[in-house]
Amino acid sequence: MKLTIRKIVVSGILGAIAILLGVTPLGLIAVPTPLGHATILHIPAILGGLLEGPVVGLLIGFIFGLISFIRATLPMFSDPLVAILPRLFIGITAYLAYAATRKINPYLGYTLAGIVGTATNTVFVLGMAVIRDYLTVELAVTFGLAQGIPEMIVATVLTVLLVSSIKRIRGFEDPAGSNR
Amino acid sequence: MTRNLTLGIYLPGKTALHCLDPRTKIAGASGLILLLILTNNYAAYASFAAFTIALILAAKIPLRFALKGLRPMLPFLAIMWVFQLLFQKPPGAAVIFSWGIINITDAGLHIGTLMSIRVLLLFLVTTILTLTTSTVELTDGAEALLRPLQKIGLPAQELALTMVITLRFVPTLAEEAEKIIKAQTARGVDFGRGNFIRRTFQLFPVLLPLFINAFKRADELITAMESRCYTGGAGRTKMKVLRMGRSDYLAWVVFAVFAAIQVVLMIKVGRPY
Repeated sequence: MKLTIRKIVVSGILGAIAILLGVTPLGLIAVPTPLGHATILHIPAILGGLLEGPVVGLLIGFIFGLISFIRATLPMFSDPLVAILPRLFIGITAYLAYAATRKINPYLGYTLAGIVGTATNTVFVLGMAVIRDYLTVELAVTFGLAQGIPEMIVATVLTVLLVSSIKRIRGFEDPAGSNR
Repeated sequence: MTRNLTLGIYLPGKTALHCLDPRTKIAGASGLILLLILTNNYAAYASFAAFTIALILAAKIPLRFALKGLRPMLPFLAIMWVFQLLFQKPPGAAVIFSWGIINITDAGLHIGTLMSIRVLLLFLVTTILTLTTSTVELTDGAEALLRPLQKIGLPAQELALTMVITLRFVPTLAEEAEKIIKAQTARGVDFGRGNFIRRTFQLFPVLLPLFINAFKRADELITAMESRCYTGGAGRTKMKVLRMGRSDYLAWVVFAVFAAIQVVLMIKVGRPY
């Protein structure tokens, strides 16, 4: 695997946003869920996957996992298998969902990437928590629905808004005005 | 907002633990985490706890620091313990307490208690590592540990660079986020009002400039690196070369003995349920 300068730098800086969201109240939206808030910490990973490809998504997911491991407030996140491993896949699945549907309609691609990326986070983390005995299956399903669905709405809305605006402003889709 | 930006707190010091090579500390902490993940009974956890306390004493970490990060976790830990008690009912487990619809099995009690101990110890091990090792040492050590994997295609040097860029840009972006929030407040965005859909939309005028600026900075950095012919890790040397000393070898011996004890305890005693 060879990492280009672009991939290194973009992962580094979007990873910094993930950490910033993680250590400030910016990353949490007050929502009536079991935890009292919905996280948007995984959005940099989804955006990285969408805009720069799966490798960047994976690296940002790793940084997100690391920060949630080091600053664990939920008990199960002091286990690296729950905190870090599932997060590696967020950017990859988001990219795959986008790549599979962008030909039909780019906005469908963004929406699906937001949904699939968030679902990856929720399902893999809770799945790992069940495997590692932190939660029972029934509890994980209840928790996943109550916490995961509002998170999915929040993350999908933000992903679609952010990606379409970033692409428009940076001229990603306009080859003549491209500044990549 | 920028004041409390720490990735785990580093407590400078001159103890034996502080002065160990970061490679020893990272590998040692990973080894301890692996042991914890595999540990399955009270005896092994008790010996692990004794070892952790010895580490805290050796690093001269004030107990207040070690336990500070634990406080927000405790209520969740208590809730999870109760949930395990109420809902963990593997087939064949003996019911030890029953009242109305509530049935508590011995397996539920053991799984919940073991999980709580494991979480506490995992947290302490990570805290000891971040308290005694600065972030620069951590990235340096991680890079050095991953370097052998370069032969099978893992870009260790590039990964370390990614981490360095991340750490470098967190304060910059935090400052920027603060400016953006002030600017948008001045323009009349009312943060923290309304239902959660509205709150989501309120975040957009903060996040969009943040991401756009981040990409702009990325482009500038890419241009700067490319114009200086950055080519990655081949042939690069370090200003500070990591060296293993006698204390590192001693630490390895201590770790090996401790790991052996743990493995014996895990096998001999076995799961309590």
